[in-house]
Amino acid sequence: MKKIYLHPIPIRLWHWINALGFIILIITGIQIRYGNIIKLFSFETAVDIHSWTGFILIANYCIWLFYYLLTFKIKIYFPPITHPIQFTKDSIRQAKFYGYGIFVGDPNPHHPTPDNKFNPMQKISYLMIMASLIPVQIITGLFLWDPKLFSKWINLVGGIQIVDMIHVLLFIFFSAFIVVHFYLATLGHTPLAHIRAMFTGYEEEEEEEEHAHSHSH
Amino acid sequence: MSKRKKILIALFLVFMIFPVYTIAAKGVLSSDAQMCLGCHSDKNVTKQLENKEKLSLYINGDEFADSVHNPTSCAGCHMDISMANHPQVKKITSKKEYSANASKSCSMCHPNDVLKKKPAHGYLITQTKAPSCSECHGAHYIKRITEWKTRISDIQYCLTCHKHDLSMKLGSGELLPLSVNETLLKNSVHGSLQCGVCHMGFSKTEHPLRTFKNKKEFSASVSKACTMCHTETQLKKKPIHADLITTAKATTCVECHGSHSIKRMSELKPTVKENQYCLTCHKHKFSMPLKSGESLSLSVDESVIRKSVHDKLQCSACHIGFSKTEHPKRVFESKRKYSISASEVCKKCHENANKLYEESIHLAQLKSGNLKSSTCTDCHGSHSMAKATTDKTLGLLSCNKCHGEINSVYEKSIHGEARSKGKENSPTCASCHNVHDVKVTARTTKMKDACLKCHKDADNLHKKWLSNHPITLSSFAGLHLDTIACAACHSPGAGGGVYLTLYDKKTGYPFPEEKVLKLLKTDSAGLVKKIDTNEDGNVDAREVWNFTQRLKRKGADVTLRAIMDVRTGIEAHQLTAKAKAVKECEKCHQTDSHFFKNVYVVLSKADGKPTLYTAEQGVLNSPFSVLPVNQFYVLGSTNIKLLDILFIIAVIGGLCVPIGHITLRIITKPIRHLRKMGKGGKK
Repeated sequence: MKKIYLHPIPIRLWHWINALGFIILIITGIQIRYGNIIKLFSFETAVDIHSWTGFILIANYCIWLFYYLLTFKIKIYFPPITHPIQFTKDSIRQAKFYGYGIFVGDPNPHHPTPDNKFNPMQKISYLMIMASLIPVQIITGLFLWDPKLFSKWINLVGGIQIVDMIHVLLFIFFSAFIVVHFYLATLGHTPLAHIRAMFTGYEEEEEEEEHAHSHSH
Repeated sequence: MSKRKKILIALFLVFMIFPVYTIAAKGVLSSDAQMCLGCHSDKNVTKQLENKEKLSLYINGDEFADSVHNPTSCAGCHMDISMANHPQVKKITSKKEYSANASKSCSMCHPNDVLKKKPAHGYLITQTKAPSCSECHGAHYIKRITEWKTRISDIQYCLTCHKHDLSMKLGSGELLPLSVNETLLKNSVHGSLQCGVCHMGFSKTEHPLRTFKNKKEFSASVSKACTMCHTETQLKKKPIHADLITTAKATTCVECHGSHSIKRMSELKPTVKENQYCLTCHKHKFSMPLKSGESLSLSVDESVIRKSVHDKLQCSACHIGFSKTEHPKRVFESKRKYSISASEVCKKCHENANKLYEESIHLAQLKSGNLKSSTCTDCHGSHSMAKATTDKTLGLLSCNKCHGEINSVYEKSIHGEARSKGKENSPTCASCHNVHDVKVTARTTKMKDACLKCHKDADNLHKKWLSNHPITLSSFAGLHLDTIACAACHSPGAGGGVYLTLYDKKTGYPFPEEKVLKLLKTDSAGLVKKIDTNEDGNVDAREVWNFTQRLKRKGADVTLRAIMDVRTGIEAHQLTAKAKAVKECEKCHQTDSHFFKNVYVVLSKADGKPTLYTAEQGVLNSPFSVLPVNQFYVLGSTNIKLLDILFIIAVIGGLCVPIGHITLRIITKPIRHLRKMGKGGKK
């Protein structure tokens, strides 16, 4: 077994705060929207928790952003612009692995390193999430938090109904994503491998696999 | 003796005998009377009465001797007086009482049954307050009636009784005064006429007894006599007289002109002020028929004018065109049209108030044909005009005339109760709805301004509990105050509604219904069909979408802005203490909130009057409303249903991916196992 230090402390902290925050936001969001069906808390409590968590996650997002910007590690999110064809091929290979190879026992084509942490599919989806979906969710969330304060901006977007619709659509996406994300986290060499790595920072790679991989090269 | 001598002797004898005859014809005083006159012939003999009147006890002996009662002598009437007990200390309250007591002796010789034979006497005897015998007939110098009548003039004969305080009870219970002021009569234009000229059937020998239902009937009967001299043709030359003559219930001649004190008009006019001149007629009860069949009262209560703020004004200040010399004849269709036209004159002086009134819902209603809508006089009265700044109840009282139902709710509200407890600064109608520029506060952009006029710290008070954590901003409470009418929360039990008003995006004001009609080339009835296209009485989301899109195609940049308000004016006024106000978020922020059950599409007319179209509740939850109602979203209540379906699909889809993947991994486990084994075998 080979151990790679993949997740530095700031990122691990950010990740778990974010994970907990997302779950809280989803639960309180459901409570706010479906108060007539679910009665976990009062509307007021749900909104208060939702707002507090939202602000915590905004701060958390800033930690993530500053960490990656200041350490220049942000590049790990960006697909190689200079090699688009190779990237496309790698993406297809990765998709083939999840759709076929994983069942027949093919090795995972991607081997994370601190400089190339994400596989091509992760790169696309995390870049989309971190660079656009989360900022949009933050902005729409802020608008809904105090619609009068942001009324001019809200009107630019097209009204509070549109703002809410975007926020809800992203809430739907994140709710579905978090399920898939959790499942994918169990697809390490053992079901808990990736999850454990997110706590310890060290990702384990099977030596055997590594050998086979280097052998194939 | 020559014939001439005989004549001279005869003349001498006549000349000599005449004084003897006259002395013999003159009454001779009895010894008793002479004895009484020993004192009572002194003009200074008087008695001070208890009411400070001075009763003269002087008797002119000669005149008494000539009277019809000389033979009766003094003791015949003054039975209680004798030499033995006179002079005695006798308490007499007044001359009236004295003459009433003294008159009791008359009945000794003139019994009631004899007196009753004469109808006028008969009536007077039965009256307790009637003058006594001596008041009319005198006491010591009474002449035989036949002799007296021949000597006295007609007027004096009548005044003998009628100068006294006489009255007659009429069928209605009214007292008809029968007394006549001699001085006024003499100075009147009719001073030289005999009483019988007007009081036909009455003379020195005739005094029929008449009865009348009321004063009006009496004056009508008396006024008939006027036409004897003042012919109808002559009177009809003046248009107002002509109208009065032809109207059955018109006032009678004497009601306006008076009776015994009548003055020549040319003499009267310069001596009286304009108001007094007008009141000569208008103080009486009379009215004018209108085209509608109603009758317009023309009478004015002088005391009311005196108390009014216009007490110094002349009548012609308001009644333009009328004066002591001018009285044009006018015709009105109805009472309402009269008061509307009468109010026109107010703006002559009250220019500022009129400018404000022009902005009011009342004038807008009036212009739109609602004649019941208020004008100046409806609130301020006409002749009773009160000053509103000193009479703050004016607002309440005048509004109640039309809005009584609202008032009964207001009285029970926190504002009404505070007022009844003496808190004068507690709001009345005008405090919220303005005074002259009366506005509907419901469903307008200025909805909360009325409340915030007094509740200036409302923003801060709401901020204390209506806050957005973790940073508490006033804008969050303000958002609620902007969209929700105060009454929606502060009127417990009020059924709320969501009002989607059509707004012009460019101007930020409601898009006027008139403009919609013009754009869609239709009328009000046609507009209903253009909004509720399937004519089911409910506007649904697709109809809202179609309607706004149609307007947009015609170049109107419109949107629907929503506010939450109570449904009726009654609900808007039953305001209560804040402890009882709605405070639970769930009351609104829940799908089944009763506030969202009643949805209306509102089109405002240019004057602010709204037209409401009942809409389906689903309008607030439809994807069709995302664009037309893009300014209104309530967490938990106006969810777009389609998104909820999408959420369920996404969650199920999200779960299906791992479940499907795991299933495939389980199914394909043998493949991997074989491969591993294969690899191992190779190895």
